[in-house]
Amino acid sequence: MATLLQLSRLIDRFSEFIGRWVAWLVLAAVLISAINAAVRKGFNTSSNAYLEIQWYLFAAVFLLAAGYTMLRQGHVKIDVISGRFSKRTQIWIDIIGLAGFVLPLVYVVIHLSMPLVIRSYVMNEYSSNAGGLIRWPVFALLPAGFLLLGIQAVSELIKRVAFLKGLVPDPTEKPEGKTDEEQLAAFLLLKSEAAAREQAALAKKP
Amino acid sequence: MMDFIGSNMAPIMFGSLIVFLLFGYSVAFSLGACGLFFGIVGVEMGLMPQTLLQALPLRIFGIMQNDTLLAIPFFTLMGLILERSGMAEDLLDTIGQLFGPIRGGLAYAVIFVGAMLAATTGVVAASVISMGLISLPIMLRYGYDRRLSSGVIAASGTLAQIIPPSLVLIILADQLGRSVGDLYKGAFIPGFVLTGLYVLYVLAVTFFRPNWAPALPAEARTIREDSGSAGLRSLGVLMVLSVAAALVFAKTRPDSTPTDELIVVSMCVGVGVAFLLAVGNRALKLGLLSRMAERVTFVLIPPLALIFLVLGTIFLGVATPTEGGAMGAVGALAMAVGRGRLDMPLLRQALDSTMKLACFVLFILIGSTVFSLSFQAVDGPKWVEHLLTSLPGGQLGFLIVVNILIFVLAFFLDFFELSFIVIPLIGPVAEKLGIDLVWFGVLLAINMQTSFMHPPFGFALFYLRSVAPTSDYTDKLTGKRIAKITTEQIYWGAVPFVIIQVVMVGLVIAFPSLVSTNLGKEATVDVDKAFQQMQMAPKERGSATEPASSPASAAGGAPDSQGRSDDDAMKSLLEGFKKDADKKP
Repeated sequence: MATLLQLSRLIDRFSEFIGRWVAWLVLAAVLISAINAAVRKGFNTSSNAYLEIQWYLFAAVFLLAAGYTMLRQGHVKIDVISGRFSKRTQIWIDIIGLAGFVLPLVYVVIHLSMPLVIRSYVMNEYSSNAGGLIRWPVFALLPAGFLLLGIQAVSELIKRVAFLKGLVPDPTEKPEGKTDEEQLAAFLLLKSEAAAREQAALAKKP
Repeated sequence: MMDFIGSNMAPIMFGSLIVFLLFGYSVAFSLGACGLFFGIVGVEMGLMPQTLLQALPLRIFGIMQNDTLLAIPFFTLMGLILERSGMAEDLLDTIGQLFGPIRGGLAYAVIFVGAMLAATTGVVAASVISMGLISLPIMLRYGYDRRLSSGVIAASGTLAQIIPPSLVLIILADQLGRSVGDLYKGAFIPGFVLTGLYVLYVLAVTFFRPNWAPALPAEARTIREDSGSAGLRSLGVLMVLSVAAALVFAKTRPDSTPTDELIVVSMCVGVGVAFLLAVGNRALKLGLLSRMAERVTFVLIPPLALIFLVLGTIFLGVATPTEGGAMGAVGALAMAVGRGRLDMPLLRQALDSTMKLACFVLFILIGSTVFSLSFQAVDGPKWVEHLLTSLPGGQLGFLIVVNILIFVLAFFLDFFELSFIVIPLIGPVAEKLGIDLVWFGVLLAINMQTSFMHPPFGFALFYLRSVAPTSDYTDKLTGKRIAKITTEQIYWGAVPFVIIQVVMVGLVIAFPSLVSTNLGKEATVDVDKAFQQMQMAPKERGSATEPASSPASAAGGAPDSQGRSDDDAMKSLLEGFKKDADKKP
């Protein structure tokens, strides 16, 4: 089990690393899209390459981030019923979900998509649009993304089994400790308090 | 036994889907697993072709190439940057001071700012949290009813769902196979009508329960002239001037200009005039405008500029919604940098959240694709169609049943799940019944808005709960003890607004022309017309849609003028850009 937990930690770090870098692709897509729109209107020129790179980036973002999102508990659940169960039952639900839902799906998608990616690579397939981009890298994102998802699922599985054995703390606790909304609330509160202090200082001065 | 299963595969599959979803594992994978399970069982039983699942990677490639969905991360990022930029706080503070001294004023301010934020972004959480932190304490300080306060904040936050640009409209457009721009145009007027209904409710409250929403004492205003006057007269003059400028400009436009373009461009002119006057007044130290007038103008400029940048360009046809989202995100980034609110951790966090949201949404779509692949193979869509078309009352019966269904499901599912699971099933049926899908999409969006307000799982209520005081506290300004807000108060506060939402759904069904679906080439079918047509000449429905489109087109500008007005659009855009360049401080 110790070896497995070590493996799980390794996977988590890896997913973390991928997630950190893939996030910047969002910014890249935003900038390319905005610039492309402005240039298209301003100078009346455009290239399909710029249009295509946008969805290449988008596909990269949501596929490659799949594992990271799982690490961060970002795939939403309907916990209307399961929310009432005990922690252990919820962990069991996760285990069934990971082993019975996620991993088979990962296997099927990789198994079915690999031949298409290989064919596209061998045929050196290009987009049919004028000035379009080469296709296989974006097709390859699909099995790659599901592979990352599968690896992370294994790590999550290890963590949950270890929790049931009492080896690790609750793995479903958010690692940052706070949700995005809580962070926003804390941030706004901080700012408004600072503003109030400033105002009070101003009022005292004259 | 096997025969029974074989012939009832569709209902069995649908029932299993509900079980899979309620099981409590991630929606995306539960959907996918349900589809996969039945796909494999179906192939083994010989009910489905061996090659069924072969189509799966191609379908996912299709999702990857989807330009429309690209707008989701763009608008999300824009919202996440904006929520930290201080825009909402400034708006709430200033508008709250402006409206405060009238009865119900703070509630009006919340609704107004909620609508304003909704028109710049589509993120509910941000609006609710900002208003809960900034407006709620003020409302409590001056003795507003707790249920009214929390209800109005939660509901105004959810306006982000219906007033474009909103994420739910993007997804509905994608799932219904209509353009996002059309849905945005269609949702525009209902969004404002809904805002108006909220205002009416508050107005009614101030009449029948005046002590629920008292007027603030005049000294609650800190933005004042040195003489102590509020400076409202100069604000009034400024407003009259800018409205006059907008109206004059609107009159000089050719008659053929489409209404939405007219509204967008004229508003820009009016706001531009106010802004130039305020800047001139400040730069030349003329002292003509009161502090309040200046403050209101400067506080309204950033959101209005963003609204023009995003909605203006989309409505004028200059940018696609995806591009509009990208430009809005860049605009929000520029604004946050300009205000010194953007640093590395914030940018990182915003990108991180955007990525996670895009990922979970798209994976739900992938999951539902796997499901629908198997569901189609067992003729599931036909089963649903048969079920829904056999309802009594034709179109109206269908609409009522579907709306009740969505309303009930909204208690458990959020709009992402509703759109990806339910819409693909009912969309085709609606189209077969001759319902205009743009209109249908807007109707469903209004209905789905309730999913944020339904106690006890509504997200808006949840966000409000997270920022509302959970224990009694002493107000810093007045030194009075103020009781906490109970969860029950939040739930009860939402109820009137859920009812308003239902009323709005009824209004849209009763008056289909509220949703302007004039698209030039697309024929509009409103319920009554379609009823008559079905009764009169079932065979000639194709040709009979021609006249049906004319009443709607009168509202939205004649279709054949579209080509001509494009030139105007270009011109006014250039003007708009110039003005925009002036605006940037």
